[in-house]
Amino acid sequence: MRRFDTILGPLVVLALLIGFAFVGDNYFLRLATFMLMYAVLALSWNFIGGMAGYPSFATAAFFGLGAYCGAILQKAGVPMFLSWAAAGLFTGVFAMLLGRAILHLKGHYFAIASLIVAEALREVVNTWTELTGGGMGLNLPVLQMDVTDQARFFFFAMLVVAASTFVLSAVVIRGKLGFGLSCIKQNEDAANILGVDATRYKVFAFVLSAVFVGPAGAIYAGWVNYIEPADAFDVLLSVKPIVMVILGGAGTLYGPVVGAFAFLILEEVVWRNVLTFHSGLLGLLIVLLVLFMPQGLIRVTARRLFRRTAAP
Amino acid sequence: MLYLQILVNGLLLGGLYACIASGFSLVWGVLNVINILHGSFIVIGSYVGLLAHQQFGINPFLTVPVAGLLLYGFGYLLQRGVINRAVGQPVLVTLTLTFGLELLVNNMLIAGFTADYKKVVLENPFGQIELGALFVPVDRLLSMVLALLLTGILYWMLRGSKLGRAIVAVRMDREAAALMGVKVNSIYAVTFGLGALMAGAAGSMMSMIYPISPIISTAYLGKAFVICVMGGLGSVPGAIVGGLALGVIESFGSLFFSAELATTFSFVLLILLLIFRPTGLMGRRGYE
Amino acid sequence: MEDYRVEHRMGLKTRRIVQAALICAVASVGMSAGAVAADKTLKFGAPLPLTGPLSPEGLKQKEGYDLWAEQVNKAGGIKVGGDSYKIEVVYADYQSNTPRAVQLAEKLITADKVNFLFSPFGSGATKAASAVSEKYGIPTIAATASSKAVYDQGYKYLFGTFTPNSTLTTPLTKLVKEKLPAVKRVAILARNDLFPLAIANVMDGSAKGSGLEVVAFEKYAIGTLDHASTLTKLRATKPDWVFATGYTNDLILIREQMRNAGLKVPVVTMIAGPAYKEYAESLGKQAENVTSAAWWHPAVRYSGEDVFGSTEKYNALFEAKYNKVPDYVQASASASGVILQLAIQKAGSVDPKKVRDALAALDAKTFYGPVKFGSDGQITSLDPPVFQIQGGKPVVILPADIKQADLKPVS
Repeated sequence: MRRFDTILGPLVVLALLIGFAFVGDNYFLRLATFMLMYAVLALSWNFIGGMAGYPSFATAAFFGLGAYCGAILQKAGVPMFLSWAAAGLFTGVFAMLLGRAILHLKGHYFAIASLIVAEALREVVNTWTELTGGGMGLNLPVLQMDVTDQARFFFFAMLVVAASTFVLSAVVIRGKLGFGLSCIKQNEDAANILGVDATRYKVFAFVLSAVFVGPAGAIYAGWVNYIEPADAFDVLLSVKPIVMVILGGAGTLYGPVVGAFAFLILEEVVWRNVLTFHSGLLGLLIVLLVLFMPQGLIRVTARRLFRRTAAP
Repeated sequence: MLYLQILVNGLLLGGLYACIASGFSLVWGVLNVINILHGSFIVIGSYVGLLAHQQFGINPFLTVPVAGLLLYGFGYLLQRGVINRAVGQPVLVTLTLTFGLELLVNNMLIAGFTADYKKVVLENPFGQIELGALFVPVDRLLSMVLALLLTGILYWMLRGSKLGRAIVAVRMDREAAALMGVKVNSIYAVTFGLGALMAGAAGSMMSMIYPISPIISTAYLGKAFVICVMGGLGSVPGAIVGGLALGVIESFGSLFFSAELATTFSFVLLILLLIFRPTGLMGRRGYE
Repeated sequence: MEDYRVEHRMGLKTRRIVQAALICAVASVGMSAGAVAADKTLKFGAPLPLTGPLSPEGLKQKEGYDLWAEQVNKAGGIKVGGDSYKIEVVYADYQSNTPRAVQLAEKLITADKVNFLFSPFGSGATKAASAVSEKYGIPTIAATASSKAVYDQGYKYLFGTFTPNSTLTTPLTKLVKEKLPAVKRVAILARNDLFPLAIANVMDGSAKGSGLEVVAFEKYAIGTLDHASTLTKLRATKPDWVFATGYTNDLILIREQMRNAGLKVPVVTMIAGPAYKEYAESLGKQAENVTSAAWWHPAVRYSGEDVFGSTEKYNALFEAKYNKVPDYVQASASASGVILQLAIQKAGSVDPKKVRDALAALDAKTFYGPVKFGSDGQITSLDPPVFQIQGGKPVVILPADIKQADLKPVS
């Protein structure tokens, strides 16, 4: 059972996804790519938010930074894969420096500092017109590739990032780092006394919450061919992963993935059927979720199923 | 002379900023809730001013109490019915909750009023005072005075009245206040209502200064954030100092650098403040 | 995990009901699939910013398309050979988020199977989405894109109803030089955003090109709440002409604060606010004698072979439906529909390739003006009107053959 949980299960999902890439049409491929992107964001946020309990709103900052890093490098002629890797490295280093600066803050202060970083970066990108195109946005080189192949290409690129994030999550959650982070979450002072180097652990978790988001941003930029500051640093990019993780179950391995999947479906269903009131409905969903199902989808369904079978 | 004019501009703007932020700061300090809805509350206040002016020709200054009371009721009920369920939860929960509410309320405003910009146009504009080369627009001056007055009343009320002392007591130590017989839940609701009241009053006043649209709420919220951190969380005098400081900083920022950098500048300042002096300019200890 | 648990203040029953509802909502996946394909219907996809900061513009475009579709359907649809097709405009909201617009364009083409596409709002999003319609070979009309950069990509399926930006600023500059020769110094204040910045740059060129001095070029950030200090700074440069760009809210605020800052100049030009009725309504007397330019104006007079017949009739139909005067965004949107309709009828087919060729060869008269596209797909036949707010209403001052009044100085 445990083996199925940790190895077989994900492998089956992976195989299904790969198979899907060859049968799904462009529209569904696009949705699936989005789902993988959401999964990357949610799994990444889970390192710092779910495991360490730090309310980070920096995901949008990492995403935008990665998107612009990838886009600018590609425009300068750097090969695509290299630019993606560079985006990861760059956001990682950025997260390390930022983490050292703001991780001593707690609660609201940390939340706001991380939130404002994205706002500040957006303004910088907006005004640095020579490098970033400012409000005019950046157009990326178009791939000379068949439409469907292109959709598949970006799907697989996102799949690789998502799978890496997942594997790393699994390793961390079962390892010393994961244990240390959960100590920090429960009581940081006590963790320090027990010999957990809280600062190092937190910075490490913060960097982990950035290194995959950067490449995801860079891939996204290449995929949509056009980025602009308002979109790449959208505050919703910070909020959605949190909602997904809460939806799925925070601090768990599968929670973020399930949450990302469920969230994407909800978003798509609402978006397709309600023309001008979808952000209101999204808001309503968030409110209901926070009030009525704060422990996440996985646990609630599991408990309900269990109760059903145990009752008679 | 130019510098004097810029300083005056900054102070006039700062007065409005103080009014935008004081309610936000109060709620944050007492309930430990970051009220993302604050910007939309201001917008609702603006629509009260606009509708009253369109329907009955009332000057928006006169609808300030109406908008304030209306928003007080709305805030009170919202806190009682929804937000109170999450008070005391980690910041993640409360922040996500008010964010969801903001999406909902703002979308309802757009559905009700459309996103088109509107504005109160006075038959007889207040004009401006010209002192040599110095220009002081009267509507802004009045707004600043009223804004500071309202914030002052709020401060006085917190210090002087029984209710105010109960609010401060809850802010300092919820458990102890409860033991002393303070009804914490109703204090929370009243405080949230007061925060909304300040937003509504500010909004009504600003309906003749700023174009009104639900879309503008995020701009107000962003300012409230910066001011609140600058002044120190939860501190009403801090909101005044932070508001005036931000107004002056932005004004000189657009003179010396460029208007497009003024916002960047204030955000960077905010991050630096958070890192090096999280208690705000006033040096008061914040809530956490 | 305990931190996420909200205390049990509500009854267990409500809780479980809501939980069940949420799970159901998550589970109801496949419900929304499948666009219903009724025969003899032509589908026009329109990704629009119906929510978010650009929603005022997006909703205007929607009004334009809706009016056109309603009129065509009332007249029995589009007749192609022996068939007549009803029209359905399929809308999708991209929430003022450009990449979403691209994604939705693809969704409309692949999932909703639209026959033709209307571009999203503005040059940036149009350019971004044009790559998609080009990929799939779907004829696309851009109702609100003016920048040359949109059309010089070598695309075959994109056609636009706005002439280049410089066609707005150059005639205006000429007129000012001619009527008010004392005007020498221009101060430009631009919103740092795609279209406002582009038009400011073009104005910079037009002014310098005709021997005026540009004494200041200031940019302000999106969402700026106060212009007092920037305007004080501009006042110090002693301009005769203030040229401000932005959207309605920015320009209302700037105009108001110009008065507050004591910045009085003979010529005030604002783009794109004064073309909208909200501008004059929100400013009252302050709007008086502000000049602007746009690609279309309800005061122009054209007769056409399209479903509307003439500008007057278009205005009347628009007012009857929406109880307001159309502006250039709404008219351009209606014109986009009209143009596609004419091309389909001329092609005698709904085949995308044939319609595309008919668009490239189109030379028609419409209520919007004569329509003829250049080899890059941008319209060449339009003479954009320059206008001024006089007596609370915009009146045309250029081109000379349709002008209703002469240019007046502000003060």
